[in-house]
Amino acid sequence: MSDGPKPGPWGRRSPAPPPAEEGATVFAPRPAATAAAGLVSTDFHAAAARNRRLTWILIAVMIAIGAVLGYLIGATVEAGEGRADFKPWASGLGFGFAVVMIAISLVWTLIVMKIGDRIVLSLSGAREVTAEQEPQLHNIVEEMAIAAGIPKPRVAVMETEALNAFATGMSTERSAVAVTRGLMQALNREELQAVVGHEMGHVQNLDVRYGTAVGVYVGLIALVGDAVLRMSRFGGGRRSSGNGKNNGAQAILMVILVIAAIVAPIAAKLVQMAISRQREYLADATSARLTRNPLALISALEKLGASTVPLDRANRATQHLFIVNPFRDFSAKATALMSTHPPLAQRIERLRNLG
Amino acid sequence: MFGWIVLGLVVAVIGYAIVTYNGLVAGKNQVANGWKQIDVQLKRRYDLIPNLVEVAKDYMGYEQETLKQVIAARNSAMNAHSPAEAGAAEAAVSGALGKFFALAESYPDLKANENVRSLMEELTSTENKIAFARQHYNDSVMGQNNRIEQFPSNLIARFGNFGMHEYFEVPEAETAPVKVSLR
Repeated sequence: MSDGPKPGPWGRRSPAPPPAEEGATVFAPRPAATAAAGLVSTDFHAAAARNRRLTWILIAVMIAIGAVLGYLIGATVEAGEGRADFKPWASGLGFGFAVVMIAISLVWTLIVMKIGDRIVLSLSGAREVTAEQEPQLHNIVEEMAIAAGIPKPRVAVMETEALNAFATGMSTERSAVAVTRGLMQALNREELQAVVGHEMGHVQNLDVRYGTAVGVYVGLIALVGDAVLRMSRFGGGRRSSGNGKNNGAQAILMVILVIAAIVAPIAAKLVQMAISRQREYLADATSARLTRNPLALISALEKLGASTVPLDRANRATQHLFIVNPFRDFSAKATALMSTHPPLAQRIERLRNLG
Repeated sequence: MFGWIVLGLVVAVIGYAIVTYNGLVAGKNQVANGWKQIDVQLKRRYDLIPNLVEVAKDYMGYEQETLKQVIAARNSAMNAHSPAEAGAAEAAVSGALGKFFALAESYPDLKANENVRSLMEELTSTENKIAFARQHYNDSVMGQNNRIEQFPSNLIARFGNFGMHEYFEVPEAETAPVKVSLR
């Protein structure tokens, strides 16, 4: 009794991380509150909760970045005016610009919440189709929505020979699934169903919300960063020829601003890169659960991997949303930091191990 | 100090009870909704079958027997009353339809007909939807039953008189492979 492991909260340090911890996330029954549909091995409830949280963190960080950029822009401009009592850390114009940027960010957030899915659809050149135009695709989407127990998403088609698909939306009630024309032609009904099941997984665990927010903000930050860099090249020269009381402060502020304008888009990019890999596995598993047919998804992924047609409408801001990387790097080195997708071979391997 | 701790515990317990009770109610409604979804799809199938048979008649002169079976199965399924009766009748419809689809393969004209093709797609999809609706129903039942049986939510379930739900059992005939004779 006395020499057994002490289960006190601090007594558990020395042994290797208990295997129970790993098992707990997969097999252990979840607490009653989340067990509503906790019957499934694919824990989309936890994933959805994480995505909700991440979306809010993302929005907060984006607003903070906007405020910092705004302050730097304002302070730089004020420094250029050359007043004697200027303090770079308490610039009135800086605070003013920061407030303006926060207001813009809030408005932008509202827009994203309302029509983020439409922005993403149009960015990728996807056109919504009616049930009369594409009855089979509509049927398949509805079947998967029934299997998942969520409302039927809207259905869109990208007119390209490439094989790909994605889902977007800010909630399970307002979401959309888009597939390429090439995908509909190359896959049989079951394979198409498996791909739609994968996208339904993204809808169910709210990857669509986080992914859409990331896509829209990555685009915006790249835009703002670009504008700042252009402005600095343009306005910097003019002001430095001024009377120059604060030239030193302005130069430093300008350098900080330029660095921030370069770093912000890279940081946004890193957020985008970091999100997808685990999610793709979960969506694959969800597809297998919904269709009860992992083999169909395996053969669909094989066909996607074998296709060599590039997706010309793919966009750097939305690439993480697709079922396979639209820039077509399916190799093992795709596990590197900068890839949005896990290698296809590993996804197929995991699916094989499901059955 | 002690009073505050007791108060905190009481609030936590009441909060848990409320959340769990509401979760159980939501689960019960989800199960009921799942069941209704199956009915919706079954109704759709009843509506589609006569159309399909009508279009197919012209092409499948030799197969009147199959067409009659499909219609007969559909009619008896619509008139079924007890759940057991309904289960058997639905299985008969699925069997008859499976046979019909398999036979249709050997009629190129029929398969090429635009109307028939779209009807077949609708029926295939409806069959899938029925299956997926049942799958979802069973998933909901499992979630709800788990909560009714598992500790500590079972205490709340007993207090609120939540009963266990029944799974949808796949009828024997539906799991058996469809027999097709192609003369």
